[in-house]
Amino acid sequence: MKLTVLEETDTFIKVLIEESSPDFVNAIRRTLLLDVPKLAIENVTIYDNTSALFDEIVAHRLGLLPLPTDLETLVFRQDCVCEGEGCPNCTVHYTISKEGECTVYSGDLNAEDPAWAVVDDRIPILRLLKDQRIILEAEALLGTGKQHAKWQTASGAGYGYYPQIEITGDCNGCRECVTMCPQDVLDVKKGKAVVKNLENCNLCKTCQEVCSRNAITVRGDPSRIIFQFETDGALTARRALTEAMKILQAHYRELEEALQ
Amino acid sequence: MIIPVRCFTCGKVLGSIFEDYKQRVYLNGENAQEVLDELGVQRYCCRRTIVAHPVIVKKDGVEELIDEAARYE
Repeated sequence: MKLTVLEETDTFIKVLIEESSPDFVNAIRRTLLLDVPKLAIENVTIYDNTSALFDEIVAHRLGLLPLPTDLETLVFRQDCVCEGEGCPNCTVHYTISKEGECTVYSGDLNAEDPAWAVVDDRIPILRLLKDQRIILEAEALLGTGKQHAKWQTASGAGYGYYPQIEITGDCNGCRECVTMCPQDVLDVKKGKAVVKNLENCNLCKTCQEVCSRNAITVRGDPSRIIFQFETDGALTARRALTEAMKILQAHYRELEEALQ
Repeated sequence: MIIPVRCFTCGKVLGSIFEDYKQRVYLNGENAQEVLDELGVQRYCCRRTIVAHPVIVKKDGVEELIDEAARYE
């Protein structure tokens, strides 16, 4: 199996996996969505809320905020030495205390340690008018996407076959396929269609349909798969992918042990 | 209402993106399609969540419906 990184930023990764199969890549995709742990606010104690939003809505919006996750130091509360009571090994505390007139942004969330400050500090949580107040305490816990979507690490995770475009000698360079291609994949050089950027092709087969001479064939190669996803900044994309593979390995190891 | 923190469908964080979008599209009058492309909102689930969010454009700024509702609390 071979892996090539096609594009990478902190929150986005696009890789080409060769000598593989769709089922295998789908297992990684499902693990990324459901099993990779992340930090999110779970318990909120509201002391005062005179804003226009109900306590439940404020708590829900807090839950969705992307918090930086350090998987080395944190453990799941149910596996923690505190036996579910809550201790610094499994819980991160946040507070907000604000009075209007203002917008309360995610940056206004005070973490007990600045390292836990919310990744994106410009997310509006609620709007306060004059004399309206919000005072609350929040507890963030580790969780997985299986429990609630707020713990889902990856978004927009998907894969597709690597495109194969064949152009035969029947091509007369009429440019019909070039104008019709929605992804700008083809070009005409020396009176014949050529592939300009193969990786943009999404296998829509429009070029194949418009070609009057049947000179183009588009196919997907199921052994070479382009896999991509983005994260919300809680984990870097590369870290999330590594973590997904570790979890998948652990699952199979568990199965192996059960068999013996 | 106030802008959703995340896209309903895929979970991409949109709250902070909308702050820029609102300024550029409703006040500066830029083309919504170009602004969304530049802000990295690719999927159509996220695009509809931003485009379909109702706002009230006033002379000195953009308000969301939550600002109107808050006055009657």
